[in-house]
Amino acid sequence: MLISLSWIRDYVELPVDLHPRDLAERFTCTTAEVDGVSPVAIAAKGLIAAGVVAVADLPDQRNARLATLDIGDGKTADTVTSAPVLHTGDCVVYAPCGASVAKLGEITESRVAGRASRGMILPGDVLGVEMAPFEAIFLGEEFQPGTPLPAELFEDVVIDIDNKSITHRPDLWGHYGIAREIAAIYGQPLQPFPVVPIAELNPGGLAKVPISIADFGACRRYSGLVLAGVPKQPAPLWMQLRLGHVGMRPISGLVDLTNYVMADLGQPMHAFDAKKVDRIEVDWARDGDRFTTLDGLGRTLTSADLMIQSQGRSVALAGVMGGLETEVTPETSELLLESANFDPSTIRRTATRLGLRTDASARFEKSLDPGYTVLGIQRFIQLARAMYPNMRLAGQLSDAYLQTHESITVYVNPAHVDRMIGRSLPVDEIQEILEPLGFEVDFRHDELAVTVPSYRATNDISIEADIIEEIARYVGYNNIVPAMPRVTMRQFQPNALHELEQRSLEYFTSVHSFNEIHGYLWYDSPWLAQLGVEAGSCVELRNPASDGLHRLRRSLMPGMLRAVVKNRFHFPAFALVELGSVFDRGEQEDGERRHLGLVSARRGKRIENALYQELKDALAGWAWQRFARTVDFVGTAAAAPWEHPQRTAELQIAHVGAGRISVIPLALRKMMDEHLGAWSIAWAQLDLTDLSAMDRRVETLGKIPEYPLVEMDFSLLVPLSNSYAAVADQLIAFAHPLLKQIRFVTKYEGDAIAKDTRSLTFRAVVGHDERTLVEQDAVNFRQAFEAHAKNCGYQVRT
Amino acid sequence: MDLGQLQETIKKIEAEVVSQLAEASDVDGVRTLDSSVLGKSGTLGSLVTSIKDYPPEQRGQVGKTLNEAKGRVKKLLTRRMAELDRAALDAETSAAAAFDRTLPGVAAPMGSVHPVTAVQWEIERSFERFGFTVEAGPEMEEEYNNFDALNIPPSHPARDMWDTFWLDNGKVLRTHTSPVQFRAMKKFGAPLRVISPGRCFRYETIDASHENTFHQVEGLVIDRDISIPNLIALARTLLMDVMQREVELRVRPGFFPFVEPGIEIDMNCQICAGKGCPTCKHSGWIEILPAGMVHPNVLAAGGIDAEVYTGFAFGLGLTRLAMMKYGIKDIRVLNQGDLRALVPPECVGGPLLASTTDDAHAALEG
Repeated sequence: MLISLSWIRDYVELPVDLHPRDLAERFTCTTAEVDGVSPVAIAAKGLIAAGVVAVADLPDQRNARLATLDIGDGKTADTVTSAPVLHTGDCVVYAPCGASVAKLGEITESRVAGRASRGMILPGDVLGVEMAPFEAIFLGEEFQPGTPLPAELFEDVVIDIDNKSITHRPDLWGHYGIAREIAAIYGQPLQPFPVVPIAELNPGGLAKVPISIADFGACRRYSGLVLAGVPKQPAPLWMQLRLGHVGMRPISGLVDLTNYVMADLGQPMHAFDAKKVDRIEVDWARDGDRFTTLDGLGRTLTSADLMIQSQGRSVALAGVMGGLETEVTPETSELLLESANFDPSTIRRTATRLGLRTDASARFEKSLDPGYTVLGIQRFIQLARAMYPNMRLAGQLSDAYLQTHESITVYVNPAHVDRMIGRSLPVDEIQEILEPLGFEVDFRHDELAVTVPSYRATNDISIEADIIEEIARYVGYNNIVPAMPRVTMRQFQPNALHELEQRSLEYFTSVHSFNEIHGYLWYDSPWLAQLGVEAGSCVELRNPASDGLHRLRRSLMPGMLRAVVKNRFHFPAFALVELGSVFDRGEQEDGERRHLGLVSARRGKRIENALYQELKDALAGWAWQRFARTVDFVGTAAAAPWEHPQRTAELQIAHVGAGRISVIPLALRKMMDEHLGAWSIAWAQLDLTDLSAMDRRVETLGKIPEYPLVEMDFSLLVPLSNSYAAVADQLIAFAHPLLKQIRFVTKYEGDAIAKDTRSLTFRAVVGHDERTLVEQDAVNFRQAFEAHAKNCGYQVRT
Repeated sequence: MDLGQLQETIKKIEAEVVSQLAEASDVDGVRTLDSSVLGKSGTLGSLVTSIKDYPPEQRGQVGKTLNEAKGRVKKLLTRRMAELDRAALDAETSAAAAFDRTLPGVAAPMGSVHPVTAVQWEIERSFERFGFTVEAGPEMEEEYNNFDALNIPPSHPARDMWDTFWLDNGKVLRTHTSPVQFRAMKKFGAPLRVISPGRCFRYETIDASHENTFHQVEGLVIDRDISIPNLIALARTLLMDVMQREVELRVRPGFFPFVEPGIEIDMNCQICAGKGCPTCKHSGWIEILPAGMVHPNVLAAGGIDAEVYTGFAFGLGLTRLAMMKYGIKDIRVLNQGDLRALVPPECVGGPLLASTTDDAHAALEG
């Protein structure tokens, strides 16, 4: 929200040499975040008011016209202008030759379209007021043509306050509330809010506009007043400039006035044509009702939308925007001023549903003080009297208000304050902090009874902690002396999954040189389509980041394969690891599981077996490190397009499924990227969620053998159709008193042996606990082992 | 063999030894010669067993002759051994003179964790030294846990602060790690010291400084008499630990529905050292740690007696911290899986002649 410093100065006396950055810093550290401070530095010199005497088109000029201006003392000046709207009788801001403003420098005589153009009608944006291009600011009767315009009127400093930092402060959505904080920060008195006494709104002999409210929960208060003598004049220049400085475009005398009260107090207002709206009924819309808002758009309503109606006809979308049909026009003779208070969630719901967030709805959804409705009207009349003497009351103030809650009193234990800020704070200091903010403080026994002002009582302050915050921010967080907590020691149960995730990632990145990547949580549909992959039944996003990103991933693989394509241009070999959540659509409930994905890619055809084997060994090492257990790789059918029909295995640890390992089939590699046809890619994925429940076996460490051990190698000729695992299972069954260990050494396939066989070499470690082996021991062992191998159907190579 | 013949034989053997020693090129050759001459079955050694064949009166003489011969041979062997030892040492020295101690070998690839993970682990270690436990929590979260339990009722305007990804099962992708506060309170009760690092999601447009997917770490301390000074002290110590340098803090009010009072802790910008730069929007301060004293409603939702316990909570943007630490200028590279952006070139191709990534901060300034 933009705040004008000159506006603030109406309410607080601030040092003339105040450095706006200092104000911003102190405001940020006490109240709310200031996003920026920018001076409105117009440096106006020699500007005057000028009356438009005549406007003439110029030949061959579409956007420029010739204006003849009355510049006072009976003199006129011709100037070429691009102002889109300009009529005889208008009064504008004029820079005669020799005058200057910061944006344009000195104005000199020029020739435009063959015409001498003297001086310039200044458009709003040159004067710090954002308007349509070249649009002029119009002046009311306050300045006669030729009157010099005071330079200081144009100067200001604009403070930009972060809206998110004041969502909880309904009182800060107007200048007066901000001024209250600034006054407290600088220890200055706050000027009273300028209003007419309420009695003056109730002159005798005038009627009240009838107001009925169907649901006081939705409309807490509705105040209305009929006024005659609708102003035809623009608002005073100072008001237009201030509105411009805080980002509101000057529109007309009436609209500017209601906007000014909104930016001043925070209370939104609306004006109806009183001829078309002679009574107010606040009620819910019916589903399917149509309504055209001021912006000319037709809206379809629901029964959750609150409407302002008159004689059963909708005239405004409550708290959001007025209706086109009943807006004030130049023909309007009497207007009905609305100043109301609505339930924040109702307004928010409607504004959100219709995508129509207005200055009004943004304020109502913060839960404004219901007291503001009448206060706003009092302020409106106070300003109107000075600006538009013709305006007068054409009715009494009508006020529908079912006051439900009394004022809030919060009891504060000073010891709690001391505890929270870490030092003892005398109660009179607490009082000195709270009172300038509008709180009343009463001492009662050991506690303080703090009465909350109405503008802080809606959705803002209700408990002791809220009051402590008020005290703490004025004590100053930066004045609080840091002190480490004194804590109670306790033990926490270990988080097995988190531990497993971290250790696994650590293992693959440090022992096996995988590089970790992160991917998005959702599938990319075009990528799946390119791979010819069916997404399957996924948990879906109702509002995806963009089209085709609506399915939550069920596997890490599609995303990782995408990363493979990205990296294959730059690295001839790489290994990726990703840790992340995947989601299953469940019958009863959808599930989230933590997966670890591993992909090893290398340029080179037909090396996938080697890659698979490296990966398999890495996985075996991982399982041993984590659980002191071995992994079984159980051959299985392909269950996903990235699983190879003959090269896929399920990982099992202690007979529990732990993940899958495979290589990417050639067909899929080519769909990923045609160059990947010449690559080999192995991958694995681990389901850590299940595994986190697995306990770590405790391995026993043996003693150093007293007598020497002997290693004996055996090479078995095994048909290619027998898997290693099958052979290993058979060998495990071999028992012998001298056998200490047996392990796989190497395999051989080639010309030296039969075509459909391979040679698997195993190494047995043999020894005796009580003596050194003798020659005969080795002979006996060899015979026994070879007999076992033969029984299993394998010939032993010699 | 009479004594004369014996001496002849010995002479021959000695001559043989001399010529063979001249040929021996290494210590092993000398050792072999040693055993083939002096060993039990060696040319000279075996003669000792023949002493008994001599008449007793000659045996003394024969023994003496043989011992003297063995002594002479041993001396020859030892001298040659010493020569060869010295030569080997000289050779090693002269060979080493040509050795380039600086030439790189073939670099083995090094693995790496993601920059965000690296920072996350550092932070976890840092907190563990303060006795914090680590809780993760799911990324697909109940709406209640993400909002209501944190004192953000439905249709509260504060919900706008978190642009939410909604799922078709009524849940949300968590918009912050704060729901783990609630989960941890339920799981552990008070007193409590927990951090919860993790991924969060916000429905917003991606550009160089905004991502819809990012990491945070949440911290929560609940105990008797926990205060604002405690929060500031811990924040300061941790930030210095993470940044590994002195940091300045600015503490100011901030609004988050789950804390009361709520504060924002800013750190002096580490890139421009507080002078003002684009990263800190020329303010000299970086918003680093939104925090506050846990709201009594949140304690109550977590089943903790707010009369007895107070607590503070804070959040830390891990992604932002990683970007600052590693000089990453474009947030989008973090989720793209392109190793060129995530891994220093040294990790994939070995050391570089001159590192271009040495000083990320200097690079950012330039």
